[in-house]
Amino acid sequence: MKSLKNHISLIIPLFAILFAVEFYFLIDKIITEYEANLSKDYSIIVVSKKPLTLPELKAVEPDITAIKEVSSELVLERLRQNGVDVDFKELKSFLPHFYKVYLGSFPSASTLRHIKKLLSSVDGVTRVETFTKVHEKIYHFLVFLKNISKFFLGIIFVTSIMLVFKQIEIWNLEHSERMYIMALFGAPLWMRNAILIKLSIIDTIISTLLVYLIYSYLLSTKYLKELLGFENITIDSHDLLRDLGWLFVLGICISVINVLIVSWRQPKIT
Amino acid sequence: MPKEKNVIIAKDLCLEYKKDVPIIKDSTFTIKSGSFVFITGPSGSGKSTLLKSFYGELKPKSGILQIGGVSLNDIKSSKLAFLRKYLGIIFQDYKLIKEWTVEKNVMLPLLIAGYSKNVCEAQTKRLLKHVRLSGKEHYYPLELSGGEQQRVAMARALAHNPVIILADEPTGNLDEYSSRVIWGLLEGANEQLGTTVVVVTHSIPTNLKVPFKHLYIENGTVYEIS
Repeated sequence: MKSLKNHISLIIPLFAILFAVEFYFLIDKIITEYEANLSKDYSIIVVSKKPLTLPELKAVEPDITAIKEVSSELVLERLRQNGVDVDFKELKSFLPHFYKVYLGSFPSASTLRHIKKLLSSVDGVTRVETFTKVHEKIYHFLVFLKNISKFFLGIIFVTSIMLVFKQIEIWNLEHSERMYIMALFGAPLWMRNAILIKLSIIDTIISTLLVYLIYSYLLSTKYLKELLGFENITIDSHDLLRDLGWLFVLGICISVINVLIVSWRQPKIT
Repeated sequence: MPKEKNVIIAKDLCLEYKKDVPIIKDSTFTIKSGSFVFITGPSGSGKSTLLKSFYGELKPKSGILQIGGVSLNDIKSSKLAFLRKYLGIIFQDYKLIKEWTVEKNVMLPLLIAGYSKNVCEAQTKRLLKHVRLSGKEHYYPLELSGGEQQRVAMARALAHNPVIILADEPTGNLDEYSSRVIWGLLEGANEQLGTTVVVVTHSIPTNLKVPFKHLYIENGTVYEIS
């Protein structure tokens, strides 16, 4: 019973850390995919007196992945629908070239301002429209989400590390007599701490598996599937399995580092 | 551990727990390799303290203390751990690991020395037979009497054929039978294996067959008694 209590005392903070880390991983993945989807749909409108080519624009901004000319017929059609009374044939000959410029990644507001400046400096370009207001709203929301998850992760990480540390300190006290006797017979540090490291590894395995099972369950629920599917975001079991490895390594590192710190903090067994 | 003629050398040795309260002061003596040595003296004279300094639990305040040619004055933890592999220590309170079986306790020095499981098991079986505890391999220390626990501690001290055995009142709380077994084993190790044996005791047994050296401590000074 006491042993079970001891294990649970380490499993809970380790679980909290790993759960928070996995939450961060997932949020990051969702935001990255969401950004990719946004950048696919997002384009800058460039108006130019001269025809533009992709290499020409790429030389100015390498993140530009494609340009698509907007047919002037579409512009004229809109004017026609608005009942503008002009000679459309003549107007067509005066109309500049309209381009949709696509980017490789979803840019920040400052990057976008920079890109706008660069495109405006291209020979022949008379106007660049980035739709900054709409863009900034979405972008700030994503940054806010990322920061919130980072903050959440930070708080959980610090408090849980302290709990892990305390639990390993308790273990150390429980096993101090054994470690002292082993030291008297010349056991090296790693051998004296082997029992603590063994306990830590067992609890890390349990915590990692718990995190994996809970996330697998959550991601398989209809509600989350629908929510993510709506934004064309997919998180498959391979993503979770890859994370499982990272979580296990992280859990082991936290435990072993704590064991070593606790050992070094103890009065020296000379 | 290098083979030295004098396996323990103390020169102007001072030991203290609290600053300026010396337990052992300015003592000079040597212990030859393969000798049997008794350290005696009144209660609180510093016998156990002196023994502690031999296995590096208490570092000299001043003077020189060498074990097997290794200075204990400013020894590093890693080197001390290495040195202790050559020592077999017996304590008055046994210092057995109570969560471990008798077999595992005896195996401890062998496991530290890196012997294979088969060698450890065979050596442990042989030693437990030697200390007349065959059949009690799977008992835990608290299931044994004081005399039996001390015999387990004796087996543990002998397990790795140490160069020096350090014993702190090994028969202090024991019945006559267990005391006879312990003295017999210490004599045997000294006579047959050439192990140096250093024993802290209140009284030297009268029926000892091996020649011995006597160090007597009084008022913090170690005297060699011929």
